[in-house]
Amino acid sequence: MTHIPIDLQYATSEQPDARPPIAALRNVFKVFGDVVAADQLNLSIAPGEFLSFLGPSGCGKTTALRMLAGFEAPTSGEVLIDGQVVNTIEPYGRPVNMVFQSYALFPHMNVADNIGYGLRQRRPRLARAEIARKVGRALEIVRLTGFEKRRVWEMSGGQQQRVALARAIVNEPKLLLLDEPLAALDRKLRKEMQIELQDLQRQIGITFVLVTHDQEEALSLSDRICVMREGRIIQTGDPQNLYDHPKSRYVADFVGTSNFIDGRVEHVADGVATLATPSGLRLQGAANAGLKAGDEACLSVRPEQIHMHRDAAPGSLPGTVHNRIFLGEHTEYLVQQPALGSLNVLAPRQGQPDDLSFQTGEPVHINWNPARALVLSPD
Amino acid sequence: MTRRERNWLLVTPAAAWFVVMLVLPLSVIFVFSFGERGPAGGYVPAFTFEQYANLPARFTAFKNTMILAPLGTIAAMLIAYPLAYQLAVRTDPKWKIILLVLVIVPFWTSILIRSYAWIFILGGSGLPALLEMVGIEGVRLIYTPFAVLIGIVYGYLPLMVFPIYVSLDRLDKRLLEASADLGARPFSTFLQVTLPLSIPGVATGCMLVFILLMGEFLIPALLGGGKVFFVGNALVDLFLQSRNWAFGSAVAFTLIVIMLVTVTVYMRLIARLHSGRQDISIM
Repeated sequence: MTHIPIDLQYATSEQPDARPPIAALRNVFKVFGDVVAADQLNLSIAPGEFLSFLGPSGCGKTTALRMLAGFEAPTSGEVLIDGQVVNTIEPYGRPVNMVFQSYALFPHMNVADNIGYGLRQRRPRLARAEIARKVGRALEIVRLTGFEKRRVWEMSGGQQQRVALARAIVNEPKLLLLDEPLAALDRKLRKEMQIELQDLQRQIGITFVLVTHDQEEALSLSDRICVMREGRIIQTGDPQNLYDHPKSRYVADFVGTSNFIDGRVEHVADGVATLATPSGLRLQGAANAGLKAGDEACLSVRPEQIHMHRDAAPGSLPGTVHNRIFLGEHTEYLVQQPALGSLNVLAPRQGQPDDLSFQTGEPVHINWNPARALVLSPD
Repeated sequence: MTRRERNWLLVTPAAAWFVVMLVLPLSVIFVFSFGERGPAGGYVPAFTFEQYANLPARFTAFKNTMILAPLGTIAAMLIAYPLAYQLAVRTDPKWKIILLVLVIVPFWTSILIRSYAWIFILGGSGLPALLEMVGIEGVRLIYTPFAVLIGIVYGYLPLMVFPIYVSLDRLDKRLLEASADLGARPFSTFLQVTLPLSIPGVATGCMLVFILLMGEFLIPALLGGGKVFFVGNALVDLFLQSRNWAFGSAVAFTLIVIMLVTVTVYMRLIARLHSGRQDISIM
């Protein structure tokens, strides 16, 4: 393979923001028994941003959220909201509100009483008319005007979800915390609610902190994503940055899908690593910081970065189409490559004449731009 | 066999039981209550309202029952609620079962024996003797309405604890978190969320205990020493001692009517308090 200059411009993962953060975690640890649920979390949340904690269950994302809400106190470190250390402040004293995974609506109250609950706790008391006005406005925002007297358990999942949102935003919190708020909804409704959430966030300008295990949700909603694993934040960045420049195989795998080819680093020069696979191939990609010759590593190449051809091209590898899934705009192929195994290839339909679509069993040649491949540490 | 026939077959044992054990005896009591006492006791057929006219003779028994049964129910509720709350909300799950078993342990011994224990505790050489040692003299506990109250609260407490425990245990704890998150302090949360949502358990417990207390006779007999008579004691006396079945039937029937009216009014009240709530079902 020829040496191709690689564009190594990484976007910074922590965008410096001139405004003081609305909330922050400083060296936060949380231990439950002998389980470390939060391991040295450091994070600043900018006012008005939509931040997501993304990770599998048990990665500590919910613990991080619950420490912001005040349901858990950090074992050590500081939780700051609006510049104040709030470690010892109970949930009812914090200017944050949460939308619970199962909504946690009060079953003995109607929609309006649920939404007005937070306002009724205020001291000095708010006037009834004022509460009614704010509740009406919140219902308007979540498009449930006219549902005031409804019983919450008479409503559909999507409507309950909106009541839960209204119950939180009516208090105009500094932070709105969302604990997997869409997990209980079916796929179609989830898509609708994702769009609504995003609109809502732009409309009211409250800082949102979302916890999710759904990468698609995190990618489509967030300004910034913290990918978590075993209690640690392993990478923070905007969705595109995370997708294009994952720092580890874990992130590349969790954010989007990718093909991974294991091997050993042969040498690193000018930020380009050459990887030797066990089958004797030499593959190149942008080197992850810290990789050096002799390290175990893997090459990550996104399915849409692999190109398929009928004829061999310089540096292309032969393979066979093993499976083909027509997805409309794209076609997803599973290509069997003798040395590399199965590779996912996503080919756009646009601009391709029909005769360019490949059939199952057809021999093909694949290649990719080494500048679009990444050599990552294996975990 | 058609589906309809099968359904009939399924309810037949229950229906038979209901007719033989409830409807029949009640009908007998109803008929007897208009009869007369035979010369050697028992029942002589007649149609007279004489027995009902004679009810004021047992006024004290009705009065005691109508005061001590509601009082005992309320006292048991006030004691059971914090206990149930502690068990359901505050206790580590691994201790729950053990502590719940401890609540039922008294049921492993006959109420007769446990009431005898109370005779000793409340009697002259029990609590009053202890009080005398600290200088409080002349306290008389046994054979007073207070002794009966203690006895019935003690005896029926577990029946009150369980329904309340169940309703508190079933309470979604995230609702409490949601309440705190929305700015309510712990006591406000209790008043606005926990208490209203545990009303079904309280209602069930109160009904259970109240109905049983209305028919109680053993505890008043033992701890009331013949001075604090319940309607139940009057019935024992009328049917077993003086063998005045007709009058006994009238007393029994009156008690049933009082109970029916009270329970109906009570259920209506609870239902109105929670009209339209799906999470409420009484008993």
